Amino acid sequence: MPLLALESLHAGYGAIRAVRGISLEVEAGETVCLIGSNGAGKSTTLRAISGLVRPSAGRVRFEGCDITRMRPHDIVAAGISHVPEGRGIFARLTVTENLDLGAYLRGGPEVAEDVARVFETFPRLRERARQTAGTLSGGEQQMLAIGRALMARPRLLLLDEPSMGLSPILTQLIFERVRQINEEGTTILLVEQNATSALEVSHRGYVIESGEIVITGTGEELAADPRVKRAYLGEL
Amino acid sequence: MRELQEGADRRLRAWRGRAAGGAALAAQPWHAARERLRAAEERTRLPIANVLVLVVALSLPFWPVIDSRWLRILVLVGIFVVLGLGLNIVVGYAGLLDLGFVAFFATGAYTYAILSSPASPALQADLNWWLAIPVVLAVGSVVGVLLGLPVLPLRGDYLAIVTLGFGEIVRILLLNVVGLTNGAQGLFNIPRPEFAGWVLEALDHWYWVLVLASFILAFAVGRMRASRMGRAWEAIREDEDVAAGMGVNTVKYKLLAFAMGAAIGAFGGLVFAGFFTFVNPSSFTLLVSINVLSIVVIGGMGSTPGVVLGALILIGLPEVLQFDETSRLLSLFNPIVPFADTSLWGRQLASARFIVFGLMLVAVMALRPQGIFAAARPQVRLPRASGR
Repeated sequence: MPLLALESLHAGYGAIRAVRGISLEVEAGETVCLIGSNGAGKSTTLRAISGLVRPSAGRVRFEGCDITRMRPHDIVAAGISHVPEGRGIFARLTVTENLDLGAYLRGGPEVAEDVARVFETFPRLRERARQTAGTLSGGEQQMLAIGRALMARPRLLLLDEPSMGLSPILTQLIFERVRQINEEGTTILLVEQNATSALEVSHRGYVIESGEIVITGTGEELAADPRVKRAYLGEL
Repeated sequence: MRELQEGADRRLRAWRGRAAGGAALAAQPWHAARERLRAAEERTRLPIANVLVLVVALSLPFWPVIDSRWLRILVLVGIFVVLGLGLNIVVGYAGLLDLGFVAFFATGAYTYAILSSPASPALQADLNWWLAIPVVLAVGSVVGVLLGLPVLPLRGDYLAIVTLGFGEIVRILLLNVVGLTNGAQGLFNIPRPEFAGWVLEALDHWYWVLVLASFILAFAVGRMRASRMGRAWEAIREDEDVAAGMGVNTVKYKLLAFAMGAAIGAFGGLVFAGFFTFVNPSSFTLLVSINVLSIVVIGGMGSTPGVVLGALILIGLPEVLQFDETSRLLSLFNPIVPFADTSLWGRQLASARFIVFGLMLVAVMALRPQGIFAAARPQVRLPRASGR
């Protein structure tokens, strides 16, 4: 049984149908990426999984349970954390307070250990622990957003465009951490426009176009696929 | 299908139990580091200053300059401090712009008036004011939830407009449900608070009761803010979607903010009814909502001292400007100011107070958008970080 399964999921905003019948699966322990251009429906797919957008049809199953109609906080409690597009950090709160809120549903003494673990993964955050999050650089904010999502101890991490607005060096650093987080046992569903980096860290990938999945395969297969190369890897 | 759903629910509860270490852990407040930080902050910042303010406030009636006019104004300021503390939860903590706060003020005042005034056409129950406190708090929070439910999906300006409408609806209901509220004539001879033969009537007694009530409320509100609930409000204010993504039940906590704010607003109404012994719909206009909101905004959203300062400026100052002493003081400027009678300036300023308040709001927003007394975050913490 896959950890996450979307079954011909439809979702959108009013008359706009952003996601049109997407089916995909993520096995426990995998990193799976969803690549596609702007407006293809990648973010909407993630928002539908985490309950921020109500799907109009289809199903989301998590560990075989139907979570399609569940409310966002119940989905978090079930074990899915979402790092939203644009990071969505609480700009006026400090780094530590942001991390604390990530563990909102947990509480208890082991939260401090988790904060320490996040600081180990992202040492820059430790230096900035008491700074307000709005004063962080883009890369640091992305680290914070990922760290905050990990505070909920998710079994599935949804990452929406972690490379957005970051320099190539920082992008590389973030993707190394993504790989590391996955190796430590968290399943990841990654949405990216930066297909090269995303495919490097992913076991499998799906290419999404106009709300539908057009190609699927392992990371290497997709990186080698001429259509993917042409459209997303910038090769002719 | 139903069974499937139930099965899923069960399994999800089990998950939640595993993830959160059970309900007991989930109910625990935050982790130790944050607790220590907070505690350190409270130790250094709170008690001494608070005790000092409390002592000064309680001693005011003994000061020679403070006569009955002053006390009357201070009682009025006190009522608005209570209202401000209530609205501060909704606007300052949870970030929900409510322009209809007068609805809860009216609810509290009328709940007590209907249950106690001899003029009450229905439900007259000779309710004692002190016993009315829990009743009014309960009715207030229920009305808060009822008004909160339909506005749950609304944000920002839409929320403001709809709540503004609610404020007016409540006033119009008071005017027209004559069988309950006695309509435009209002309810009079409302009994003053009485306890074992002691009737709360003297101005200084009222003043002391209000000072103590404000302190208790300020303390309670401070505890709410420092609780798990306060953290949820904070997250909702900063970004509702992300808050939901952190596992905050946004529906529950928005309703709780409305309920808590409304209960405190209703308590303000209870004090109002007991103090003036008369209520009618013309006391519960949009202007009250705007005054309370201005108090919160000018003082500093989310800041308790800000509420007190805002109430003193917006409610107290215009009254003091109309004192004869103020006129006499201002007349001293007459020799140096040609073509004007400076002794009238106070009264003139007071009668133009809404122009002045408008200008103040503009000035505060332009020069100090966080308000005069910024809420104790994060400006307080930044210097500490640089000192590391």
